[in-house]
Amino acid sequence: MNNQLKAILEVLIFISQEPLTLGKIKEVLGEVPEEELQAALKSLQTDYASDERGIQIIQTAGGYLFSTKSDHDQWVRRLLQIEKKSRLSSASLETLSIIAYHQPITQAEVSAIRGVDSTYCLKTLLQKKLIKIVGRKKAPGNPLIYRTSDKFLQYFGLNSLEDLPREEEIAKILEEENQSIS
Amino acid sequence: MDQDIREYQAQNECGQPGRNDGYQVKLEIFEGPLDLLLFLIRKKKIDIHDIPIAVITRDYLEYLEKKDQINLDREAEFLFIAALLIYIKSQMLLPREQEVLAEDDPRKILVDRLLEYQKVKAACSILREKEENELLQWKRTFMPPISRPDDLDLLEVNLFDLAETFFLLMKRKERENLQVIKGKDITIEEKLKEIVSLLQKNGSMDFLDYFSSQETLEEALVAFFGLLELIKNRTVVAVQEQLFQTIRVWLRKDRHHHHSAHGLSHE
Repeated sequence: MNNQLKAILEVLIFISQEPLTLGKIKEVLGEVPEEELQAALKSLQTDYASDERGIQIIQTAGGYLFSTKSDHDQWVRRLLQIEKKSRLSSASLETLSIIAYHQPITQAEVSAIRGVDSTYCLKTLLQKKLIKIVGRKKAPGNPLIYRTSDKFLQYFGLNSLEDLPREEEIAKILEEENQSIS
Repeated sequence: MDQDIREYQAQNECGQPGRNDGYQVKLEIFEGPLDLLLFLIRKKKIDIHDIPIAVITRDYLEYLEKKDQINLDREAEFLFIAALLIYIKSQMLLPREQEVLAEDDPRKILVDRLLEYQKVKAACSILREKEENELLQWKRTFMPPISRPDDLDLLEVNLFDLAETFFLLMKRKERENLQVIKGKDITIEEKLKEIVSLLQKNGSMDFLDYFSSQETLEEALVAFFGLLELIKNRTVVAVQEQLFQTIRVWLRKDRHHHHSAHGLSHE
């Protein structure tokens, strides 16, 4: 194991406030064999996974990022004097998940699926930078087209859109719900 | 009307039921008409693929009828689905010669929407779990900036503050400059360079002092436009230490010589 490489990777991830992508790492390091890089990253992650460590290296939004471990949440909040972090409203969450699964999508299409006007929700999601406008649809009125952002992936701890709950997981939840009522 | 919707949504955001009216509170626990329908279907333990439209329509309308007057802005969506239910019900009553094919079932439009919506709800519950989990893991980006006591009263000035200062200074200058010596033309570009090089040398400058030190009104004007330009392209930041006090200008650390990169129109 190349310990030097491990140390450098640790530094790079530590310095980055945004998820550090593999591409960026390669750009900085230059010629390092892919296997060696992967092994070093893996080993670094394993080191941090140890119970003796309060922080960890997670893979999110296509990159590596330092974060605290869930167990220590209360200590962070005590330090920063934050009672509880705010969560998305159910209307926003609903809108967001529709965009995530159906993107690219327009406001009218989101509203049609929800059965509720979603203009306001889109506005707040834009403000929170969880979604972005990617253009206009070539349709009457040229409505804006929305997509989820990298911040969306980060917010839910997803590495890519492929990590979204799959059809099977959703079906399982629906089944459980059905069983609980019958 | 927009205001109403916004209020309604804002109340939803806080997770608080809106008005005291019993009916409205009931409706507001639902995200929309589809949510209400799903709730009724589940309550009656009905198979979503074979909805007894008459029963569900009656239940659904009962919810809407509990109110004397309907706020169209907020409940149009609920009414729309009510209309759809009644339409489907009427279609179901039509005599048919043959057995209805699954594709022709008038309930299909509704069932498809309900199934889709049900999926969204399920996906939401998974995402909610992920959100909860993620909120427990703190990233460094969530860290609030470490506050220094001397930072507390700094306000980034807005255009209006600047404009106000500008007119104040104009008045002062007007009084001073009784005889204007012509013959010196200054371009914005020269001023930009001057301001940036001053900032590079001194770190920051007192804009009021700088403005007053300008020889002519014309030059002062150019200096002011120059400052606006530098703020706009984010080369500098203008900060007012306290209300009604002087405006200090700093170079932004994250930017390098953007003033030259922008094509400026010459005077």
